[in-house]
Amino acid sequence: MSFETIVKILVVEDEPGLRDSIRDYFAESGNVCETAGGYETALQKINVYRYDCILLDITLPNGSGLDILEALKANHHPDGVLIISAKNSLDDRLRGLDLGADDYLTKPFHLSELKARVMAIVRRKSFNGNREIIFHEITIDLLAKQVNVFGAPIKLTKKEYALLLYFVANKGKVISKNAIAEHLWGDEIDISDNFDFIYSHIKNLRKKLIEAGSGDYIQSTYGMGYKFSDH
Amino acid sequence: MKLLDRYNSVSLLTTILVIVVTGVIYYFSISYILTGQVDKDLDVEENEIFEYVKLNHALPQVFKSDDLIIHFTPIEGHAVARRFSDSRFFDAHEHGEESGRTLTSSVMVGQQLYRIEITESKVETEYLIRMIFFITLGIVFVLLTVLLLINKLVLRRLWQPFYQILRAIKLFNLADRNGIDPVNTRIDEFRDLNIEVTAMSQRVLQDYQSLKAFVENAAHELMTPLAVINSKLDTLMQVGEMNDKQGLLISEVYHTVGKLKKLNRSMLMLSRIENKLIAEREEIDLCQFIQDMVNEFQELLADRGIIISEYLKPCHITINRDLLMIILNNLMGNAIQHNCTQGKIVIQLDQQGFSFCNTGTLIPLNEKQILQRFYKSPESEGSGLGLTLIKEICDSYGFSFRYAFRTDMHCFDIVFNYPYSNLIQNCHLL
Repeated sequence: MSFETIVKILVVEDEPGLRDSIRDYFAESGNVCETAGGYETALQKINVYRYDCILLDITLPNGSGLDILEALKANHHPDGVLIISAKNSLDDRLRGLDLGADDYLTKPFHLSELKARVMAIVRRKSFNGNREIIFHEITIDLLAKQVNVFGAPIKLTKKEYALLLYFVANKGKVISKNAIAEHLWGDEIDISDNFDFIYSHIKNLRKKLIEAGSGDYIQSTYGMGYKFSDH
Repeated sequence: MKLLDRYNSVSLLTTILVIVVTGVIYYFSISYILTGQVDKDLDVEENEIFEYVKLNHALPQVFKSDDLIIHFTPIEGHAVARRFSDSRFFDAHEHGEESGRTLTSSVMVGQQLYRIEITESKVETEYLIRMIFFITLGIVFVLLTVLLLINKLVLRRLWQPFYQILRAIKLFNLADRNGIDPVNTRIDEFRDLNIEVTAMSQRVLQDYQSLKAFVENAAHELMTPLAVINSKLDTLMQVGEMNDKQGLLISEVYHTVGKLKKLNRSMLMLSRIENKLIAEREEIDLCQFIQDMVNEFQELLADRGIIISEYLKPCHITINRDLLMIILNNLMGNAIQHNCTQGKIVIQLDQQGFSFCNTGTLIPLNEKQILQRFYKSPESEGSGLGLTLIKEICDSYGFSFRYAFRTDMHCFDIVFNYPYSNLIQNCHLL
């Protein structure tokens, strides 16, 4: 699957502020992003349309997101499902995953993290057997976890590889330093107050890509974060 | 001072005081009565003398007696006033003086006036008084002893329910959700106390529960607005044209929201641990787990020039994976954040427990202070809940969590307390 594939997603979220942000973030790169603010609308939509991925809030005004998930699975719809919930309770997470959800994300989250997770689900769900992400001269082999530039392999550390995947999934977006730190080290860590260590990872990744002949795609943006972009 | 002792000392003092006062009164009354008795005897003697003089017109023959001496002295002029007086009595047998009672009177024999002095020994009377005094003293002493003993035994038994209630109050712990059990007693005061204490414990527990529920709900409810702020900031960052100042401002807001998020998550986690809502456990190879975690931090450690040494022996424990992750990440995070440049971290693991030691300031930390919620060292930017979280998790598993300053290193030790918990399994000695 090439990265340029357009994905179709449904956001089921009752909080309009969050719903709109997610829609805007996803819609920009030509993806189709539909929204549902409540239980009934969501049920109607999943009965009629198919999506590559459904972002499902568990606590909805008139019902539970888990019921929507059950309905989806009862009808054997193949849509990918990412649960987003304010509850960090294990029970909900386990129930959601037991019912067939593909992933679980706790509020509050970074949109870049959400996008990366959704792209991962979409990639897993795609059936064309292509397990590669291509961005210009950079090819990422997801099975071998190998990165090639103009066909020549480059050696990345585990963190650098994760970083590159994260950047590519959020191509053209500014990603905050916080989001990068949490993606690489998890959000339990209390040391991410000092972001110098992110800088050294990014510096190394950038150096390795440029040395292999790739374009300089990683830019720092106004001290807020970094952007992976070809223009 | 115990109530019993206080009561005893008061009652003992009053008893002694009352006994002394009544003793004095008693002594004087008995002595008065007995003196009256002696006076009556003297009266009888006087009358006998008067009778004799009336019949014989001569003074009676005086015989020497052990306890009675009669003297006749001729006097001139008027008759002496008849009176009783205390005097000395010479006992010929004992060759000594004793106290006595004397009646002085006068009698006319023919033309001659005689003064009569009848003196009777009071030895018998005094002996009697002394006997009465000692018997009374004995009785009082026995009575007091018995009273004290009864007080001690009976009161101790009577106070038993009170001590039971007190013990229950001391053992009362908000976190374990058990109220104070009622104590069986027939004494009204204790029953009232009992009812009130039991009711109060229930009320406190309820309040505590609702407070905890409130904290948890509040933290939950805050998550959605936080998610909105976070997503709006993410969206704002995508707006193309911006200057560095704006970028810095957004970055700071983002950073602060991140802190708020972490704080909120820690609070939620705390309340979940306290409520024992995290029940799921699995057996984990702790040695492998720590090594994996250290690998995660490798670049960060290298970046700060910190040298890490691991002394790990194989150990498996049964614990919740997420909670173990919180413990290790927090310990490791602290060890890095509070370290000095080119510092050291030493991790030790054996079947008894594990410890994280790091170099840093040369001043030992105050153990009590660092375990307080929201306590932060001035340079720390964390939530101030990290160590509290570790402590709560350790408590919930029966582990002990301690701080120590050893060989210029700050050490955090977690001991599994193996004999008391069945959490460690398959811990083999190397």
